[in-house]
Amino acid sequence: MTVFKGYMRVMKHNRGLILLYLAVFTGITMLFQRMAGNNPVTSYRAQSVRIAIVDEDGESLAGELKEYLGQCHQVSVMENDRARMQEDLFYRDVEYIIHIPEHFFETCIVEGRKLQVTKVPGSYTAFYVDQQISSFLNHAKVYYAAGFTQEETAAALSEAEPVKVELMDSGRTLEEMPDYGFYFQYLPYLFLSVLCYVMGNVIAAFGKGDLPKRMRASAVSARRQSLEGLLASAAMAMGLWAVAVAGAFLFYGKRLVESGGLPFYLLNSFMLVLVALSISYLVGTLVHGKNQVNTLNGVVNVLSLGMCFLCGVFVSLDVMSKGVKTVAQFLPVYWYEVVNELVVEFGSVTGEAQRTVFLGIGMQAVFAAALVCVTLVAAKWKRV
Amino acid sequence: MVEIKNLVKRYGDVVALDHLNLQVREGEIFGLLGPNGSGKTTAINCMLALLSFDRGDIRLFGEEMSPDNYKVKQQIGIVLQNVAVFDELTVYENIDYFCGLYIRDKARRKELVDEAIAFAGLEEYQKKRPPKLSGGLLRRLNIACGIAHKPKLIIMDEPTVAVDPQSRNKILEGIQELNRQGSTIIYTSHYMEEVEQICTRIAILDHGRSIAVGTKEELKMMIKTGETITIEAVALAGEQLAAIRDLPHVFAVDYEGQVLTVRCTKARHNLLSLLNYLQEQEIVFGRVFSELPTLNDVFLEITGKQLRD
Repeated sequence: MTVFKGYMRVMKHNRGLILLYLAVFTGITMLFQRMAGNNPVTSYRAQSVRIAIVDEDGESLAGELKEYLGQCHQVSVMENDRARMQEDLFYRDVEYIIHIPEHFFETCIVEGRKLQVTKVPGSYTAFYVDQQISSFLNHAKVYYAAGFTQEETAAALSEAEPVKVELMDSGRTLEEMPDYGFYFQYLPYLFLSVLCYVMGNVIAAFGKGDLPKRMRASAVSARRQSLEGLLASAAMAMGLWAVAVAGAFLFYGKRLVESGGLPFYLLNSFMLVLVALSISYLVGTLVHGKNQVNTLNGVVNVLSLGMCFLCGVFVSLDVMSKGVKTVAQFLPVYWYEVVNELVVEFGSVTGEAQRTVFLGIGMQAVFAAALVCVTLVAAKWKRV
Repeated sequence: MVEIKNLVKRYGDVVALDHLNLQVREGEIFGLLGPNGSGKTTAINCMLALLSFDRGDIRLFGEEMSPDNYKVKQQIGIVLQNVAVFDELTVYENIDYFCGLYIRDKARRKELVDEAIAFAGLEEYQKKRPPKLSGGLLRRLNIACGIAHKPKLIIMDEPTVAVDPQSRNKILEGIQELNRQGSTIIYTSHYMEEVEQICTRIAILDHGRSIAVGTKEELKMMIKTGETITIEAVALAGEQLAAIRDLPHVFAVDYEGQVLTVRCTKARHNLLSLLNYLQEQEIVFGRVFSELPTLNDVFLEITGKQLRD
């Protein structure tokens, strides 16, 4: 088992790095868990804007506009003093000023002229108020077109029921996610970083310079060397998986066991570790040259962070655009996260969800097999 | 022990080995001498079954060499041109690892590793990792990794490249010691001095062919040059050079940068007769050197070019 021991010794050389990644992973998990725990998003409330109104009309429709906006904004009345307006806007005492002209009904409803407003440029809240004013004026125009007078329009508008917004929580995103959900969500970062870096280093070490020649000229058969190498890699991957699973039990224990999704968490993370191992083999095979360590560093960072950002590790899949999700489907970590989100959401998975879970796990297996094939081709190409 | 017959290796249109024939006997230090690109490393790689070849036959220990002939490989140690050790392992771990590829018994291996460390003079550096070692020490580690399992045949491919003279001498002495301990050694180099110093028989390679084989004395006997005399002389005239060329046993005269080089066949008093002529002609001369032929002269006469061209 000389080759196996050689692999292990080279891996041991990277133990500091493994501990560092474990610490980073634990830190990130705990940080996100705490952040999410402090800000549970469970309700919806309309945005309130500070609005000032300069009313030079004083008629019923102008009063109704004030009333309408006052339902969800802080409305105050202001004198028509240009300097004061500028000062209040500058210091953000108000964010939006409405100038209601004399003969408001005739000017803005009958003649359809624009209502003069002053607002903080580029502010999304101003855009929000624009929409509401536009809606109010459009309604008024409809009433006027139907033959309503100013008083009748104002009265009709005052009777209109405010629109109730009901928040639909389609998933578990607004509920508090179980803490072990975060742990398993961030697991790809740990597996990809540690395995790609450590195994990449080990494979690169065995492929450096004339070392492969020395190995091929030795009395240990090529088949045995490959087998021992694979065994060592598998041992490393299993060791990392065992540490990760042990960490989950240590941190979440009973809650995780009682969640009903434990077998799926274990199976999904096991498949992920195989995927990470196959990626690490490919990286180790392809990265060589004088600046091997630096190149490996760069490649591992791009791979692990890139895949984690794209596939819903650091940012939930729910908030990702369709385009990003389409691209992410071509990466194995996406399927891990799909499975993970389902298991987090449903706990014990059955029916259609179970089919999706097995599809996700199967996709990871396909990716792992494909990556092994690519690695074998790359290794052969490198030898020629 | 090693028999190579009509070995041909091509890389596309380039013929790296052109019907190479070699025979290495047990107990020899056999030198493969040739300029860069002459086919030395290719020949070694073919011998070790690291490279396939187009034609020919290679037999080691009487058996045909193939990539899966592990019985033969068990008896071979290799020291490659580039240092091939793990940066992540210590000196001890490296030697132990490579020895472990041949010797399974732990106690025996420990014994052999300790011996290899002592042989290479690496006792003080056992716990250091290769990046902390100097170039010379690295080369010694490279050798220790190749010979720790006490192979019967050691193949060394330019093991002293980029090594300081002190380390080089230590390495050459070590190779002779290994040979005294019973190992047959195939040693490739483009340093003729090294080959001349340690090899019992030498094959000179050029363009993938063995152009001469024999002991250094036999090789030198093959050529016309018996002595090369070099004299610093000022302003020699054409007729004087012609007269020197007519001296007995002189077959080539060259005068460049006020240095006169005279090549003579093997005879007594060549130097004396030349100095007598210079005195008679009242030619002022400075330093005088007389050299016996070197392997470079052998190469020069056979190929018409310097060994280090």
